[in-house]
Amino acid sequence: MSAFWYYVFTLVFFLFDYFILAMGLNIQYGETGILNFAYIAFVALGAYVTGAVSMPNSVGTGQQYIFGWGIPFPFNLIMGGVAAMVLAFVVALITLRRLRTDYLAMVLISLSLVFYDIVNNYVRLFNGADGLYNVPEPMSGVFHLTLNAFVPFFALVTGAVALILWGVMSRITRSPLGRTFRAIRDDPDVAAALGKGVFRYQLTSMLIGSFYAGVGGGLLIQFGGSFNPTAWLPGETFVVFAVIIVGGVGNNVGLLMGALLVETLLIHLPAFLPNIPGHPGLIEYIDTMVVGVVLMLMLWFRPQGVVPERLRRFPQPAGELANRDGHSVAPPEQSHYVAAITTDDSEPKDAQ
Amino acid sequence: MTSFEEPAITRQGVDEAILSCEGLTKAFGGVNAVNGATFDVPRGKITALIGPNGAGKTTVVNILSGAMKSDSGSMRLGSTDITNWERYKIARLGLMRTFQLSRELSGLTVLENLLAAPKVQAGESLFNIFFRPRLLKREERQNIERATEILRTYGLYDLRDNRARELSGGQKKLLEISRGVMASPSLFLLDEPMAGVNPALIERIGGYILDMKAQGVTVLMIEHNLNIVEKICDNVIVLAEGRTLATGRLSDLRNNPEVVQAYLGEVINAGTGH
Repeated sequence: MSAFWYYVFTLVFFLFDYFILAMGLNIQYGETGILNFAYIAFVALGAYVTGAVSMPNSVGTGQQYIFGWGIPFPFNLIMGGVAAMVLAFVVALITLRRLRTDYLAMVLISLSLVFYDIVNNYVRLFNGADGLYNVPEPMSGVFHLTLNAFVPFFALVTGAVALILWGVMSRITRSPLGRTFRAIRDDPDVAAALGKGVFRYQLTSMLIGSFYAGVGGGLLIQFGGSFNPTAWLPGETFVVFAVIIVGGVGNNVGLLMGALLVETLLIHLPAFLPNIPGHPGLIEYIDTMVVGVVLMLMLWFRPQGVVPERLRRFPQPAGELANRDGHSVAPPEQSHYVAAITTDDSEPKDAQ
Repeated sequence: MTSFEEPAITRQGVDEAILSCEGLTKAFGGVNAVNGATFDVPRGKITALIGPNGAGKTTVVNILSGAMKSDSGSMRLGSTDITNWERYKIARLGLMRTFQLSRELSGLTVLENLLAAPKVQAGESLFNIFFRPRLLKREERQNIERATEILRTYGLYDLRDNRARELSGGQKKLLEISRGVMASPSLFLLDEPMAGVNPALIERIGGYILDMKAQGVTVLMIEHNLNIVEKICDNVIVLAEGRTLATGRLSDLRNNPEVVQAYLGEVINAGTGH
């Protein structure tokens, strides 16, 4: 396989992986209104756990890590997702009951920093600052894949996982549960006044989103074969935010578009460009700045994103009278009691 | 004019109370917003909660709906002690409310605002979403039919696919009330439902409230428009300085010197007494 196709499939992998990550953050932020500024910590935990459970026992590997059970794909990936859910459960219990919006965001980013420091310094957990490496390539042995063949193979596997998770997410967001999430996003007080246990639904949203984060992280470590703290600096959360804000909050198609524009074209494509002579690494800094500028421009000029959240229309009930434009031809019904309280003979008018 | 039913007047009256409050207090810093409010709301009637600005009416509604916790006192909804319960648990017992300033679910369509209202839906369970799709479909169809009927009644049907944030102030009032109706309340707290709307709409809203009563819903409404209070309310609770000053029919309370001094005189002098 030529270097060109190697690059293309690498970009395809990141497109699908960040689509998964964006779906996870979108259900938390775009659908339920939880400003999860610690999102990258859930991605990282998913990556570490997926790597650590799929690697052999750490004795003799030159690394220190927990687990080491040699669990194969996709069970290792599921365990990564579940680990992120467990962390989300603990974090939600601490934060969601009492904190909202900006205060919640501040606490979450602080927790992210705490988690980062723990993983970075407590070497016996996930090998500290060196991180995990030599993580087995999933199914390489089964299909006897070379490195060149593994990249397109795993990009397509990631695409298949993304497709399954997209189907699951679409089903959730189109259901009454998704509607309740959006009701809580719009006004948690009103949702509570309608009998919705806001904490329970926020917790559900956190768990679902964190599972996606963990799976996305698990795919990352299996694709690259390694993962260390430089891959999940707390600021990485904002790249995922940029994906969903640019693409369109609350719209799964928009998320794919955001993953394409931000993660694939702005962040990873420039990494394959030749270095600027005399300034190695400068392109990386420039593309981070470009992401920031694009994010600001989108928030200023098109806050709804490239593909905005769509209106959810429902079919009219059977027997509904409708004209060609789809509007009711029947006039609004009046209360039986309007006449009783009308002070003059004028007909009640429509609301102004 | 229809003839209105005889009102339930007092705490000692014969009507069964759906809601009973005893000695509710709530202080903000050094200010006693509610200072021992005690009253009953008779089942199946329309009761107005009136009083001067700062009397503690909205705070009382916030406490009753669970949006605030009282410092002391107790309240019962039917036979259940709901003192300082969480909001959603109170709502699930059938107590719905509207807000002084309309609060729509702005990103949802008008129809979705109503569809979000039923308190417990099978479609809010992950298990049901993936393993009981027929149940979901049936429930959703029934909810859409009911919501459509309510929207037509409230004159919002043609706006059903508009985002709620696009509605006018009066339409938002109607949306909020119709959303509460969709939740099938047994007790509906309306916080100034006529505030800031035109006279024709005031009449319509008054009619809708009477409709609710006819369907067995108990209504407790904060209202400054005494004309409408006199026409549709069976009972009036006057609140002043966080205390219950008097209860009864408005026509009787007009002769109560305490009430006149605390509120009615102010309203009449201000020329807003209609």
